[in-house]
Amino acid sequence: MADLFHNLALGFGVAVSPINLMLCLIGALVGTLVGVLPGIGTIATVAMLLPITFGLPPVGALIMLAGIYYGAQYGGSTTSILVNIPGEATSVVTTLDGFQMAKQGRAGPALAIAAIGSFFAGCVATVLIAVLGAPLTKLALAFGPAEYFSLMVLGLIFAVVLAKGSLLKAIAMIVFGLLLSMVGSDIETGASRMAFNVPELADGLGFATVAMGVFGFAEIIRNLDAGAEMDRQLVQQKISGLMPTKKDMIDAFPAICRGTVLGSILGILPGGGAVIASFAAYTLEKKIAKDPSRFGRGAIEGVAAPESANNAAAQTSFIPLLTLGIPPNAVMALMVGAMTIHGIVPGPQVMQKQPELVWGMITSMWIGNLMLIIINLPLVGIWVRLLRVPYRLMFPSIVVFCAIGIYSINNAPVDVVLAGAFGLVGYWLIKHEFEPAPLLLGMVLGPLMEENLRRALLISRGDWSVFITRPLSAVLMAGAAGLLVLAVLPTLRKKRDEVFVESEG
Amino acid sequence: MSDTPSAGAGKSITPKWIRGPQDFVGGLALMAVALFALWASSDLQGMHGFSFGAGTAPRMFAVLLLGLGAVIALMGILQDGPHVARYAWRGPLFVSLAILCFAVAIRPLGLVVSGLASFLISALGTPETRWVETIIVGICLTIGCALLFPYVLGLPMPLFPRFLVQ
Repeated sequence: MADLFHNLALGFGVAVSPINLMLCLIGALVGTLVGVLPGIGTIATVAMLLPITFGLPPVGALIMLAGIYYGAQYGGSTTSILVNIPGEATSVVTTLDGFQMAKQGRAGPALAIAAIGSFFAGCVATVLIAVLGAPLTKLALAFGPAEYFSLMVLGLIFAVVLAKGSLLKAIAMIVFGLLLSMVGSDIETGASRMAFNVPELADGLGFATVAMGVFGFAEIIRNLDAGAEMDRQLVQQKISGLMPTKKDMIDAFPAICRGTVLGSILGILPGGGAVIASFAAYTLEKKIAKDPSRFGRGAIEGVAAPESANNAAAQTSFIPLLTLGIPPNAVMALMVGAMTIHGIVPGPQVMQKQPELVWGMITSMWIGNLMLIIINLPLVGIWVRLLRVPYRLMFPSIVVFCAIGIYSINNAPVDVVLAGAFGLVGYWLIKHEFEPAPLLLGMVLGPLMEENLRRALLISRGDWSVFITRPLSAVLMAGAAGLLVLAVLPTLRKKRDEVFVESEG
Repeated sequence: MSDTPSAGAGKSITPKWIRGPQDFVGGLALMAVALFALWASSDLQGMHGFSFGAGTAPRMFAVLLLGLGAVIALMGILQDGPHVARYAWRGPLFVSLAILCFAVAIRPLGLVVSGLASFLISALGTPETRWVETIIVGICLTIGCALLFPYVLGLPMPLFPRFLVQ
């Protein structure tokens, strides 16, 4: 317990320095600013803003990134509520009741309860990270290569199960990502693989490059042909009355608590992350409500629970990243990219060798949440006005901003061209209903998986059964297999089939 | 791998026995990517004894992708599914051109010229563009970026054309 307070105090000591507070504030502000743009989700926001943190010292950069992340998440919720455009997958559920509330002129309370719920969830999750961080690091030390490999398989299966649409296609995307990660030098032999003597490819495909291509550029291209202008359904009423009433608070509070608990648990699991947490929380609320028919017609619980859950999950998903070095979702994968750029290899060692970095980041997450409340409640009016910027002016700006951003990573024009090419690949993937998120996850986990697979097989002298004979690894593999079976079972797939029928008709 | 699998582009008429053209074409393209990767990694060393060579993992993943692509394509034949969506040409073309223009021009011509140029080129990507406001916004954005990236964020990049600076 003393350890816990010591750690938190250390963290606050780092995070509360004026410069870091500033960075956190700027990050949260810019993150919200970009995240509130329709069509630009959390991943794209973080990918786009990644370069602006390169010039900073590592701690500052990570703190700012944490701010950007939370800002982007909250920005996504804002557009869900105000204009029924989810900025990202995690806030899709929020649109169901949030936009209905906005239509009834209750956008203020909806936005406020989303912010309050997120803040509450953030507080709980911060403590949870501080409590669980150290023990989980010890557990991580018991992990051999076989366990790591199995855990990553489990994480990837999670990502597959949660992806929209066809299971098979999601698996294919992961494998495509794994294959892309093979480009560049081999870790052990140094042999150049599939690089075609292009010097810029010797280090492999840049993660930010691919992410910006398949999310940023592809999204822009797609919005252009979809006629994004027509999708905008602005809430014309002026937002009046910001704060929720006492009754709202009483209704929402239990939902916030349930959402927080659910989100925290799901966030820790690799691959779980914020998306499933928000869906699960919404489903739970609807199940236990006395009058489920209120949902979808502006029930405040329908905003409070998923928003709390996705924030709690977003926060606790730092746990597998910091303790095991395994990014549980695509955004965390970007964080790994950022860390690597600053020369930090995430994993148990970071916790021990650079405690001020880890704890500084954890506490700054909490501060980031606080900043979000401070920034967003008064600024709602401005966000709405930003949404009125016509897309014909917005998209060239995004193109230029992305291009400069990618160029600034390595000062390499080739990277910009590559990102453009991946933009076209991403456009193609969208057209064929392939999800780009699993691809990104596969790409990040690829080198780690290969390394651990090689080591595990080397230690076991080529015996593949090592993955099921070591108990911890066997449990993880069984979990992965179980998940896959569950996902294929018709009951769980019902919803998917419904979607399919609709698209055919 | 920067090759764009654009095999399905423009193919709106597919034989009747293919019931889900979207998946069919998608699967075929993934198979093409996998075959390309197999070819590209064919010069790498494979397994020796029970330790992996440089080429083992890439080939493993490529074979896996080949199989998955084949199954997806097969499903496209057997199951009813959506048609290949129509590709727009205007957006992708001009956005790609803008990106390409930026990449080519940033070194010799600097941020100001290449930024504005790629802004204007990408604005061609939609018929909605109104030129007066686009040019004004483009200039403002370029000035903003010219201040933001090199000065505020301290990222080194050339601002003006090389022949003017020297």
